[in-house]
Amino acid sequence: MQLFLEYLFAGISNGAIYAALALALVMVFRGTGTINFAQGEMALFTTYIAWGLTTKNVPVVLCLLIATAAGFVLGAVTERVLIRPIERKSLLATLIVLLGLFLALNSLDGILWGNQNYTMPSLFPNAVSSFITVGGARLYWANLGLWIVVAVLVGAMFQLFNHTRLGLHMRATASNRESASLSGIPVGRILMLGWGFSAAIGAIAGVLLTPLSPDSLGVGEMFPILIQASAAALFGGLDSPGGAVIAGLLMGVVEALLSGYVPAIGGQLQEAIAFVAIVLVLLVRPQGLFGSKEVERV
Amino acid sequence: MTLLEITDLRGGYGPSMVLHGISLRVDEGEIVVVLGANGAGKTTTMRAIAGLISSKGAITLDGHSIIGMRPDKVVAAGIALVPQGRGTFAKLSVDDNLLIGAAKRRDRAGVKDDLERWYEVFPRLAERKKQPAGTLSGGEQQMLAIARALMNRPRLLLCDEPSLGLAPLVVREVFSLLTRINSEQQTAMLIVEQNAELALEIASRAYLLEAGTVVSEGTAASLRDSDAVRRAYLGY
Repeated sequence: MQLFLEYLFAGISNGAIYAALALALVMVFRGTGTINFAQGEMALFTTYIAWGLTTKNVPVVLCLLIATAAGFVLGAVTERVLIRPIERKSLLATLIVLLGLFLALNSLDGILWGNQNYTMPSLFPNAVSSFITVGGARLYWANLGLWIVVAVLVGAMFQLFNHTRLGLHMRATASNRESASLSGIPVGRILMLGWGFSAAIGAIAGVLLTPLSPDSLGVGEMFPILIQASAAALFGGLDSPGGAVIAGLLMGVVEALLSGYVPAIGGQLQEAIAFVAIVLVLLVRPQGLFGSKEVERV
Repeated sequence: MTLLEITDLRGGYGPSMVLHGISLRVDEGEIVVVLGANGAGKTTTMRAIAGLISSKGAITLDGHSIIGMRPDKVVAAGIALVPQGRGTFAKLSVDDNLLIGAAKRRDRAGVKDDLERWYEVFPRLAERKKQPAGTLSGGEQQMLAIARALMNRPRLLLCDEPSLGLAPLVVREVFSLLTRINSEQQTAMLIVEQNAELALEIASRAYLLEAGTVVSEGTAASLRDSDAVRRAYLGY
Protein backbone atom coordinates (compact mmCIF):
# COMPACT_ATOMS: atom_id res chain seq x y z
CA MET A 1 0.00 0.00 0.00
CA GLN A 2 2.76 2.39 0.96
CA LEU A 3 4.66 1.60 -2.22
CA PHE A 4 1.51 1.94 -4.31
CA LEU A 5 0.83 5.38 -2.85
CA GLU A 6 4.36 6.55 -3.49
CA TYR A 7 4.14 5.46 -7.13
CA LEU A 8 0.75 7.11 -7.33
CA PHE A 9 2.00 10.43 -5.90
CA ALA A 10 4.92 10.49 -8.31
CA GLY A 11 2.53 9.62 -11.13
CA ILE A 12 0.12 12.43 -10.26
CA SER A 13 2.97 14.95 -10.21
CA ASN A 14 4.25 13.89 -13.63
CA GLY A 15 0.67 13.66 -14.82
CA ALA A 16 -0.08 17.21 -13.68
CA ILE A 17 2.87 18.46 -15.72
CA TYR A 18 1.82 16.42 -18.77
CA ALA A 19 -1.69 17.76 -18.29
CA ALA A 20 -0.53 21.38 -18.17
CA LEU A 21 1.67 21.03 -21.25
CA ALA A 22 -0.98 19.01 -23.09
CA LEU A 23 -3.45 21.81 -22.36
CA ALA A 24 -0.95 24.29 -23.79
CA LEU A 25 -0.53 22.14 -26.91
CA VAL A 26 -4.30 21.88 -27.34
CA MET A 27 -4.70 25.67 -27.07
CA VAL A 28 -2.25 26.19 -29.91
CA PHE A 29 -3.68 23.33 -31.94
CA ARG A 30 -7.20 24.68 -31.74
CA GLY A 31 -6.12 28.09 -32.97
CA THR A 32 -3.36 27.28 -35.43
CA GLY A 33 -3.99 23.64 -36.34
CA THR A 34 -0.50 22.38 -35.57
CA ILE A 35 1.33 20.72 -32.70
CA ASN A 36 3.76 23.25 -31.32
CA PHE A 37 7.00 21.24 -31.33
CA ALA A 38 8.72 24.15 -29.66
CA GLN A 39 6.34 24.12 -26.69
CA GLY A 40 8.76 22.19 -24.47
CA GLU A 41 11.76 24.32 -25.43
CA MET A 42 9.82 27.52 -24.79
CA ALA A 43 9.03 26.18 -21.32
CA LEU A 44 12.67 25.23 -20.79
CA PHE A 45 13.92 28.64 -21.91
CA THR A 46 11.68 30.42 -19.42
CA THR A 47 12.62 27.93 -16.70
CA TYR A 48 16.27 28.88 -17.28
CA ILE A 49 15.27 32.52 -16.88
CA ALA A 50 13.59 31.70 -13.56
CA TRP A 51 16.60 29.69 -12.42
CA GLY A 52 18.97 32.50 -13.45
CA LEU A 53 16.99 34.90 -11.29
CA THR A 54 17.06 32.56 -8.28
CA THR A 55 20.86 32.61 -8.45
CA LYS A 56 20.59 36.40 -8.00
CA ASN A 57 18.61 35.78 -4.82
CA VAL A 58 15.28 36.82 -6.25
CA PRO A 59 12.43 35.10 -4.31
CA VAL A 60 11.19 32.01 -6.12
CA VAL A 61 7.59 33.28 -6.30
CA LEU A 62 8.78 36.39 -8.10
CA CYS A 63 10.92 34.24 -10.41
CA LEU A 64 7.84 32.20 -11.27
CA LEU A 65 5.85 35.32 -12.08
CA ILE A 66 8.61 36.81 -14.21
CA ALA A 67 9.11 33.51 -16.06
CA THR A 68 5.36 33.32 -16.69
CA ALA A 69 5.32 36.83 -18.10
CA ALA A 70 8.41 36.07 -20.20
CA GLY A 71 6.67 32.93 -21.48
CA PHE A 72 3.61 34.94 -22.43
CA VAL A 73 5.72 37.42 -24.39
CA LEU A 74 7.74 34.63 -26.03
CA GLY A 75 4.56 32.86 -27.14
CA ALA A 76 2.86 36.01 -28.39
CA VAL A 77 5.95 37.17 -30.31
CA THR A 78 6.38 33.71 -31.84
CA GLU A 79 2.83 33.84 -33.17
CA ARG A 80 3.14 37.36 -34.50
CA VAL A 81 6.62 37.12 -36.03
CA LEU A 82 7.08 33.47 -37.04
CA ILE A 83 3.68 31.86 -37.39
CA ARG A 84 1.36 34.49 -38.81
CA PRO A 85 3.33 35.21 -42.00
CA ILE A 86 3.94 31.49 -42.63
CA GLU A 87 0.71 29.72 -41.77
CA ARG A 88 -1.15 31.15 -44.74
CA LYS A 89 1.33 29.35 -47.00
CA SER A 90 0.89 25.83 -45.65
CA LEU A 91 0.55 23.74 -42.55
CA LEU A 92 3.73 21.88 -43.40
CA ALA A 93 5.71 25.13 -43.54
CA THR A 94 4.39 26.03 -40.10
CA LEU A 95 5.50 22.67 -38.73
CA ILE A 96 8.99 23.11 -40.18
CA VAL A 97 9.25 26.60 -38.69
CA LEU A 98 8.27 25.20 -35.28
CA LEU A 99 10.86 22.43 -35.58
CA GLY A 100 13.40 25.13 -36.41
CA LEU A 101 12.36 27.11 -33.37
CA PHE A 102 12.71 23.97 -31.28
CA LEU A 103 16.34 23.54 -32.40
CA ALA A 104 17.14 27.25 -32.17
CA LEU A 105 15.85 27.62 -28.60
CA ASN A 106 17.63 24.46 -27.53
CA SER A 107 20.95 25.70 -28.93
CA LEU A 108 20.38 29.13 -27.44
CA ASP A 109 19.93 27.51 -24.03
CA GLY A 110 23.26 25.73 -24.53
CA ILE A 111 25.02 28.96 -25.53
CA LEU A 112 23.57 31.01 -22.68
CA TRP A 113 23.70 28.50 -19.86
CA GLY A 114 26.12 25.81 -20.95
CA ASN A 115 25.69 22.09 -21.06
CA GLN A 116 25.89 21.31 -17.36
CA ASN A 117 22.78 20.62 -15.29
CA TYR A 118 21.52 22.79 -12.46
CA THR A 119 19.28 22.29 -9.47
CA MET A 120 16.31 24.60 -9.32
CA PRO A 121 15.12 25.82 -5.91
CA SER A 122 11.49 25.00 -5.15
CA LEU A 123 8.58 27.31 -4.54
CA PHE A 124 7.63 25.06 -1.63
CA PRO A 125 9.55 23.61 1.34
CA ASN A 126 11.83 21.10 -0.29
CA ALA A 127 14.03 19.65 2.42
CA VAL A 128 14.44 15.90 2.79
CA SER A 129 12.08 16.12 5.74
CA SER A 130 9.40 18.34 4.11
CA PHE A 131 6.73 15.73 3.72
CA ILE A 132 3.53 14.60 5.28
CA THR A 133 2.73 10.93 5.69
CA VAL A 134 -0.33 9.58 3.95
CA GLY A 135 -1.11 5.89 4.48
CA GLY A 136 2.53 5.30 5.36
CA ALA A 137 3.74 6.93 2.16
CA ARG A 138 5.66 10.17 1.99
CA LEU A 139 3.97 13.04 0.19
CA TYR A 140 6.40 15.91 -0.29
CA TRP A 141 5.23 19.52 -0.09
CA ALA A 142 6.79 20.19 -3.46
CA ASN A 143 4.49 17.58 -5.01
CA LEU A 144 1.41 18.73 -3.18
CA GLY A 145 2.17 22.35 -4.07
CA LEU A 146 2.58 21.41 -7.72
CA TRP A 147 -0.78 19.65 -7.74
CA ILE A 148 -2.50 22.67 -6.24
CA VAL A 149 -0.91 25.18 -8.59
CA VAL A 150 -1.72 23.07 -11.66
CA ALA A 151 -5.28 22.54 -10.44
CA VAL A 152 -5.78 26.27 -9.96
CA LEU A 153 -4.16 27.00 -13.31
CA VAL A 154 -6.33 24.49 -15.17
CA GLY A 155 -9.43 25.75 -13.34
CA ALA A 156 -8.61 29.32 -14.32
CA MET A 157 -8.09 28.37 -17.96
CA PHE A 158 -11.45 26.60 -18.07
CA GLN A 159 -13.12 29.57 -16.45
CA LEU A 160 -11.55 31.74 -19.11
CA PHE A 161 -12.60 29.45 -22.00
CA ASN A 162 -16.16 28.85 -20.94
CA HIS A 163 -17.29 31.87 -18.99
CA THR A 164 -15.66 34.95 -20.43
CA ARG A 165 -16.11 36.99 -23.55
CA LEU A 166 -12.45 36.49 -24.46
CA GLY A 167 -12.89 32.74 -24.05
CA LEU A 168 -15.93 32.79 -26.32
CA HIS A 169 -13.94 34.67 -28.93
CA MET A 170 -11.11 32.15 -28.60
CA ARG A 171 -13.54 29.27 -29.11
CA ALA A 172 -15.09 31.05 -32.08
CA THR A 173 -11.69 31.61 -33.67
CA ALA A 174 -10.77 27.96 -33.12
CA SER A 175 -14.06 26.79 -34.60
CA ASN A 176 -14.18 28.92 -37.76
CA ARG A 177 -11.60 31.62 -38.20
CA GLU A 178 -13.14 33.36 -41.21
CA SER A 179 -16.57 33.43 -39.66
CA ALA A 180 -15.07 34.80 -36.44
CA SER A 181 -13.46 37.70 -38.30
CA LEU A 182 -16.73 38.37 -40.11
CA SER A 183 -18.40 38.63 -36.71
CA GLY A 184 -15.97 41.38 -35.75
CA ILE A 185 -13.44 39.36 -33.76
CA PRO A 186 -9.83 40.50 -34.26
CA VAL A 187 -8.61 36.95 -34.90
CA GLY A 188 -4.93 37.90 -35.12
CA ARG A 189 -4.99 39.32 -31.60
CA ILE A 190 -6.93 36.30 -30.32
CA LEU A 191 -4.42 33.84 -31.79
CA MET A 192 -1.54 35.86 -30.36
CA LEU A 193 -3.16 35.75 -26.92
CA GLY A 194 -3.70 31.99 -27.26
CA TRP A 195 -0.02 31.44 -28.00
CA GLY A 196 0.90 33.74 -25.14
CA PHE A 197 -1.28 31.88 -22.65
CA SER A 198 -0.03 28.52 -23.82
CA ALA A 199 3.64 29.48 -23.44
CA ALA A 200 2.87 31.00 -20.03
CA ILE A 201 1.37 27.67 -18.93
CA GLY A 202 4.53 25.96 -20.17
CA ALA A 203 6.68 28.34 -18.12
CA ILE A 204 4.71 27.58 -14.95
CA ALA A 205 4.96 23.84 -15.61
CA GLY A 206 8.73 24.09 -16.08
CA VAL A 207 9.31 26.10 -12.92
CA LEU A 208 7.19 23.66 -10.88
CA LEU A 209 8.58 20.47 -12.35
CA THR A 210 12.30 21.17 -12.32
CA PRO A 211 12.81 21.36 -8.50
CA LEU A 212 11.27 17.89 -8.01
CA SER A 213 14.60 16.21 -8.70
CA PRO A 214 18.12 17.57 -8.27
CA ASP A 215 20.30 18.43 -11.28
CA SER A 216 17.35 18.22 -13.64
CA LEU A 217 17.60 21.62 -15.32
CA GLY A 218 19.54 20.95 -18.51
CA VAL A 219 19.16 21.33 -22.26
CA GLY A 220 17.64 17.83 -22.57
CA GLU A 221 15.08 18.23 -19.80
CA MET A 222 11.93 19.12 -21.69
CA PHE A 223 12.05 17.03 -24.85
CA PRO A 224 10.90 13.73 -23.28
CA ILE A 225 8.22 15.59 -21.38
CA LEU A 226 6.96 17.18 -24.57
CA ILE A 227 6.67 13.71 -26.10
CA GLN A 228 4.58 12.52 -23.16
CA ALA A 229 2.47 15.66 -23.25
CA SER A 230 1.88 15.31 -27.01
CA ALA A 231 0.81 11.71 -26.46
CA ALA A 232 -1.56 12.91 -23.75
CA ALA A 233 -2.96 15.63 -25.99
CA LEU A 234 -3.49 13.11 -28.76
CA PHE A 235 -4.95 10.59 -26.35
CA GLY A 236 -7.42 13.08 -24.95
CA GLY A 237 -8.33 14.49 -28.35
CA LEU A 238 -6.29 17.32 -29.83
CA ASP A 239 -9.20 19.74 -29.80
CA SER A 240 -10.38 18.96 -26.28
CA PRO A 241 -8.83 20.90 -23.37
CA GLY A 242 -10.67 18.72 -20.83
CA GLY A 243 -9.50 15.58 -22.60
CA ALA A 244 -5.89 16.80 -22.53
CA VAL A 245 -5.98 17.32 -18.77
CA ILE A 246 -7.59 13.97 -17.98
CA ALA A 247 -5.32 12.09 -20.40
CA GLY A 248 -2.24 13.85 -19.01
CA LEU A 249 -3.03 12.78 -15.46
CA LEU A 250 -3.91 9.27 -16.57
CA MET A 251 -0.71 9.00 -18.51
CA GLY A 252 1.43 10.08 -15.56
CA VAL A 253 -0.22 7.63 -13.20
CA VAL A 254 -0.20 4.65 -15.58
CA GLU A 255 3.41 5.33 -16.47
CA ALA A 256 4.47 5.49 -12.80
CA LEU A 257 2.58 2.34 -11.83
CA LEU A 258 3.75 0.34 -14.84
CA SER A 259 7.39 1.26 -14.46
CA GLY A 260 7.14 0.65 -10.73
CA TYR A 261 5.45 -2.72 -10.79
CA VAL A 262 6.64 -4.21 -14.09
CA PRO A 263 10.40 -4.70 -13.82
CA ALA A 264 10.67 -5.31 -17.57
CA ILE A 265 9.55 -1.72 -18.16
CA GLY A 266 11.34 -0.08 -15.26
CA GLY A 267 12.88 3.31 -15.83
CA GLN A 268 14.24 2.38 -19.25
CA LEU A 269 11.05 1.75 -21.20
CA GLN A 270 9.02 4.36 -19.33
CA GLU A 271 9.03 6.73 -22.28
CA ALA A 272 7.99 3.99 -24.67
CA ILE A 273 4.61 3.95 -22.96
CA ALA A 274 3.83 7.26 -24.62
CA PHE A 275 4.62 5.86 -28.05
CA VAL A 276 2.48 2.81 -27.44
CA ALA A 277 -0.34 5.12 -26.38
CA ILE A 278 0.05 7.23 -29.53
CA VAL A 279 -0.07 4.19 -31.82
CA LEU A 280 -3.05 2.70 -30.05
CA VAL A 281 -5.01 5.92 -30.11
CA LEU A 282 -4.34 6.50 -33.79
CA LEU A 283 -5.44 2.95 -34.58
CA VAL A 284 -8.54 2.69 -32.46
CA ARG A 285 -9.88 6.17 -31.96
CA PRO A 286 -8.12 8.72 -34.15
CA GLN A 287 -10.06 11.63 -32.71
CA GLY A 288 -8.90 10.76 -29.17
CA LEU A 289 -10.90 9.97 -26.07
CA PHE A 290 -12.77 13.27 -25.88
CA GLY A 291 -11.99 14.79 -29.25
CA SER A 292 -14.89 15.37 -31.56
CA LYS A 293 -15.59 14.38 -35.07
CA GLU A 294 -17.26 17.42 -36.50
CA VAL A 295 -20.98 16.81 -36.82
CA GLU A 296 -22.74 19.27 -39.04
CA ARG A 297 -25.93 19.11 -40.95
CA VAL A 298 -25.92 20.95 -44.23
CA MET B 1 -28.76 59.03 -49.10
CA THR B 2 -26.04 56.78 -50.45
CA LEU B 3 -24.81 54.31 -47.84
CA LEU B 4 -22.40 52.05 -49.73
CA GLU B 5 -20.68 53.16 -52.89
CA ILE B 6 -18.37 50.94 -54.91
CA THR B 7 -16.43 52.42 -57.79
CA ASP B 8 -14.35 50.51 -60.31
CA LEU B 9 -13.68 47.59 -57.97
CA ARG B 10 -10.99 45.22 -59.20
CA GLY B 11 -9.70 42.16 -57.45
CA GLY B 12 -9.46 38.42 -57.28
CA TYR B 13 -7.40 35.65 -55.82
CA GLY B 14 -3.69 36.13 -56.32
CA PRO B 15 -2.86 36.63 -59.98
CA SER B 16 -6.27 35.53 -61.25
CA MET B 17 -8.51 38.58 -61.49
CA VAL B 18 -12.22 38.04 -61.04
CA LEU B 19 -13.57 41.59 -60.79
CA HIS B 20 -12.85 43.90 -63.70
CA GLY B 21 -14.18 47.23 -62.50
CA ILE B 22 -17.49 46.86 -60.69
CA SER B 23 -19.47 49.93 -59.66
CA LEU B 24 -22.62 49.80 -57.60
CA ARG B 25 -24.33 51.57 -54.74
CA VAL B 26 -26.78 50.85 -51.94
CA ASP B 27 -28.88 53.64 -50.43
CA GLU B 28 -29.90 53.78 -46.80
CA GLY B 29 -32.67 51.35 -45.92
CA GLU B 30 -32.70 49.89 -49.42
CA ILE B 31 -32.62 46.26 -50.59
CA VAL B 32 -30.39 45.74 -53.62
CA VAL B 33 -29.84 42.41 -55.32
CA VAL B 34 -26.86 41.28 -57.35
CA LEU B 35 -27.62 38.64 -59.98
CA GLY B 36 -25.29 36.69 -62.19
CA ALA B 37 -24.31 33.23 -63.32
CA ASN B 38 -21.73 31.08 -61.57
CA GLY B 39 -18.30 32.69 -61.81
CA ALA B 40 -19.64 36.17 -62.55
CA GLY B 41 -17.90 37.56 -59.45
CA LYS B 42 -20.83 37.94 -57.05
CA THR B 43 -19.22 36.22 -54.07
CA THR B 44 -15.88 37.84 -54.81
CA THR B 45 -17.56 41.26 -54.69
CA MET B 46 -19.04 40.43 -51.30
CA ARG B 47 -15.71 39.16 -49.99
CA ALA B 48 -13.96 42.29 -51.20
CA ILE B 49 -16.47 44.53 -49.40
CA ALA B 50 -16.11 42.49 -46.20
CA GLY B 51 -12.32 42.80 -46.32
CA LEU B 52 -11.63 39.09 -46.79
CA ILE B 53 -9.68 39.64 -50.01
CA SER B 54 -7.62 42.60 -51.10
CA SER B 55 -8.94 44.69 -53.95
CA LYS B 56 -8.39 47.94 -55.82
CA GLY B 57 -10.80 50.74 -56.61
CA ALA B 58 -13.00 52.52 -54.08
CA ILE B 59 -15.44 51.24 -51.46
CA THR B 60 -16.98 53.84 -49.21
CA LEU B 61 -19.51 53.64 -46.42
CA ASP B 62 -21.12 57.02 -45.71
CA GLY B 63 -18.36 58.59 -47.76
CA HIS B 64 -15.58 57.06 -45.64
CA SER B 65 -13.26 54.65 -47.40
CA ILE B 66 -13.31 51.12 -46.05
CA ILE B 67 -11.20 49.47 -48.70
CA GLY B 68 -8.19 47.56 -47.35
CA MET B 69 -9.66 47.34 -43.85
CA ARG B 70 -9.47 44.10 -41.88
CA PRO B 71 -12.78 42.18 -41.72
CA ASP B 72 -13.34 43.00 -38.04
CA LYS B 73 -12.83 46.71 -38.77
CA VAL B 74 -15.35 46.56 -41.60
CA VAL B 75 -17.81 45.05 -39.11
CA ALA B 76 -17.06 47.88 -36.71
CA ALA B 77 -17.74 50.36 -39.51
CA GLY B 78 -21.27 48.93 -39.82
CA ILE B 79 -21.26 46.17 -42.45
CA ALA B 80 -22.00 42.52 -41.66
CA LEU B 81 -21.66 39.66 -44.13
CA VAL B 82 -23.72 36.48 -43.97
CA PRO B 83 -21.25 34.28 -45.82
CA GLN B 84 -22.10 31.64 -48.38
CA GLY B 85 -22.26 28.34 -46.50
CA ARG B 86 -23.45 30.23 -43.41
CA GLY B 87 -20.22 30.16 -41.37
CA THR B 88 -21.84 28.31 -38.48
CA PHE B 89 -19.74 27.70 -35.35
CA ALA B 90 -20.83 24.08 -35.43
CA LYS B 91 -19.78 22.86 -32.00
CA LEU B 92 -20.88 25.97 -30.14
CA SER B 93 -24.42 26.44 -28.91
CA VAL B 94 -26.96 28.59 -30.71
CA ASP B 95 -26.71 31.05 -27.82
CA ASP B 96 -22.92 31.27 -28.16
CA ASN B 97 -23.19 31.70 -31.92
CA LEU B 98 -25.40 34.73 -31.42
CA LEU B 99 -23.18 36.18 -28.67
CA ILE B 100 -20.18 35.87 -31.00
CA GLY B 101 -22.20 37.98 -33.43
CA ALA B 102 -22.14 40.75 -30.83
CA ALA B 103 -18.32 40.81 -30.74
CA LYS B 104 -18.12 44.53 -31.49
CA ARG B 105 -20.57 45.63 -28.84
CA ARG B 106 -19.90 46.78 -25.31
CA ASP B 107 -23.47 47.34 -24.07
CA ARG B 108 -24.38 44.14 -22.23
CA ALA B 109 -27.99 45.09 -21.62
CA GLY B 110 -28.51 46.01 -25.27
CA VAL B 111 -26.99 42.71 -26.39
CA LYS B 112 -29.37 40.83 -24.11
CA ASP B 113 -32.36 42.75 -25.50
CA ASP B 114 -31.27 42.00 -29.06
CA LEU B 115 -30.86 38.32 -28.22
CA GLU B 116 -34.45 38.24 -26.98
CA ARG B 117 -35.63 40.16 -30.01
CA TRP B 118 -34.03 37.79 -32.52
CA TYR B 119 -35.32 34.79 -30.63
CA GLU B 120 -38.79 36.28 -31.06
CA VAL B 121 -38.26 36.80 -34.77
CA PHE B 122 -36.70 33.33 -35.16
CA PRO B 123 -38.69 31.17 -32.72
CA ARG B 124 -37.12 27.96 -33.99
CA LEU B 125 -33.72 29.19 -32.83
CA ALA B 126 -35.14 29.92 -29.38
CA GLU B 127 -36.25 26.29 -29.07
CA ARG B 128 -32.65 25.20 -29.74
CA LYS B 129 -30.72 27.76 -27.68
CA LYS B 130 -28.46 25.26 -25.92
CA GLN B 131 -28.06 22.86 -28.85
CA PRO B 132 -24.77 22.73 -30.84
CA ALA B 133 -25.43 24.89 -33.88
CA GLY B 134 -24.09 22.18 -36.21
CA THR B 135 -27.12 20.04 -35.44
CA LEU B 136 -29.58 22.60 -36.82
CA SER B 137 -31.17 22.05 -40.21
CA GLY B 138 -29.90 24.01 -43.19
CA GLY B 139 -32.75 26.50 -43.00
CA GLU B 140 -32.26 27.01 -39.28
CA GLN B 141 -28.53 27.55 -39.79
CA GLN B 142 -29.28 30.17 -42.44
CA MET B 143 -31.56 31.99 -40.01
CA LEU B 144 -28.91 31.68 -37.32
CA ALA B 145 -26.33 33.18 -39.67
CA ILE B 146 -28.63 36.13 -40.40
CA ALA B 147 -29.46 36.65 -36.72
CA ARG B 148 -25.75 36.41 -35.85
CA ALA B 149 -24.86 39.08 -38.39
CA LEU B 150 -27.63 41.33 -37.05
CA MET B 151 -26.33 41.09 -33.48
CA ASN B 152 -23.65 43.67 -34.32
CA ARG B 153 -26.44 46.04 -35.44
CA PRO B 154 -25.06 46.59 -38.93
CA ARG B 155 -26.37 49.41 -41.09
CA LEU B 156 -25.75 47.26 -44.15
CA LEU B 157 -26.31 43.52 -44.26
CA LEU B 158 -24.58 41.54 -47.01
CA CYS B 159 -26.20 38.17 -47.78
CA ASP B 160 -24.36 35.74 -50.03
CA GLU B 161 -26.74 33.21 -51.58
CA PRO B 162 -29.13 32.87 -48.66
CA SER B 163 -31.20 30.32 -50.60
CA LEU B 164 -28.31 27.91 -51.27
CA GLY B 165 -29.28 24.32 -50.52
CA LEU B 166 -32.65 25.16 -48.99
CA ALA B 167 -36.07 23.79 -49.85
CA PRO B 168 -38.29 26.23 -51.79
CA LEU B 169 -40.65 26.78 -48.85
CA VAL B 170 -37.75 27.55 -46.53
CA VAL B 171 -36.30 29.94 -49.09
CA ARG B 172 -39.60 31.85 -49.10
CA GLU B 173 -39.49 32.02 -45.32
CA VAL B 174 -35.92 33.35 -45.30
CA PHE B 175 -36.78 36.03 -47.85
CA SER B 176 -39.90 37.14 -46.04
CA LEU B 177 -37.88 37.44 -42.83
CA LEU B 178 -35.29 39.56 -44.63
CA THR B 179 -38.08 41.84 -45.87
CA ARG B 180 -39.50 42.09 -42.37
CA ILE B 181 -36.13 42.97 -40.85
CA ASN B 182 -35.57 45.56 -43.54
CA SER B 183 -38.86 47.27 -42.89
CA GLU B 184 -38.67 47.08 -39.09
CA GLN B 185 -35.00 48.00 -38.61
CA GLN B 186 -34.34 49.98 -41.79
CA THR B 187 -31.27 47.76 -42.29
CA ALA B 188 -30.03 48.19 -45.83
CA MET B 189 -29.27 44.93 -47.64
CA LEU B 190 -27.11 43.83 -50.52
CA ILE B 191 -28.14 40.31 -51.53
CA VAL B 192 -26.38 38.01 -53.96
CA GLU B 193 -28.79 35.46 -55.32
CA GLN B 194 -29.19 32.78 -57.97
CA ASN B 195 -32.93 32.62 -57.43
CA ALA B 196 -33.57 35.70 -59.55
CA GLU B 197 -37.35 35.76 -59.45
CA LEU B 198 -37.63 35.67 -55.70
CA ALA B 199 -34.77 38.12 -55.15
CA LEU B 200 -36.27 40.64 -57.57
CA GLU B 201 -39.55 40.43 -55.65
CA ILE B 202 -38.05 41.83 -52.46
CA ALA B 203 -35.42 44.18 -53.95
CA SER B 204 -35.95 47.73 -55.06
CA ARG B 205 -32.98 47.78 -57.44
CA ALA B 206 -30.76 45.15 -59.04
CA TYR B 207 -27.41 44.70 -60.80
CA LEU B 208 -26.57 41.96 -63.27
CA LEU B 209 -22.96 40.75 -63.29
CA GLU B 210 -21.27 38.93 -66.10
CA ALA B 211 -17.59 37.97 -66.13
CA GLY B 212 -16.65 40.46 -63.45
CA THR B 213 -18.43 43.53 -64.79
CA VAL B 214 -21.87 45.06 -64.39
CA VAL B 215 -23.75 44.47 -67.65
CA SER B 216 -27.14 45.71 -66.60
CA GLU B 217 -28.67 47.69 -63.75
CA GLY B 218 -31.95 49.26 -62.85
CA THR B 219 -35.08 48.90 -60.76
CA ALA B 220 -36.06 45.38 -59.84
CA ALA B 221 -39.13 45.65 -62.07
CA SER B 222 -37.17 46.75 -65.12
CA LEU B 223 -34.64 43.93 -64.71
CA ARG B 224 -37.40 41.39 -64.32
CA ASP B 225 -38.66 42.32 -67.75
CA SER B 226 -35.25 42.63 -69.34
CA ASP B 227 -34.02 40.26 -72.01
CA ALA B 228 -30.59 39.98 -70.43
CA VAL B 229 -31.95 38.59 -67.18
CA ARG B 230 -34.38 36.31 -68.92
CA ARG B 231 -31.60 34.91 -71.05
CA ALA B 232 -29.28 34.44 -68.10
CA TYR B 233 -31.77 32.96 -65.66
CA LEU B 234 -35.09 31.99 -66.95
CA GLY B 235 -33.95 30.30 -70.13
CA TYR B 236 -36.40 31.79 -72.61
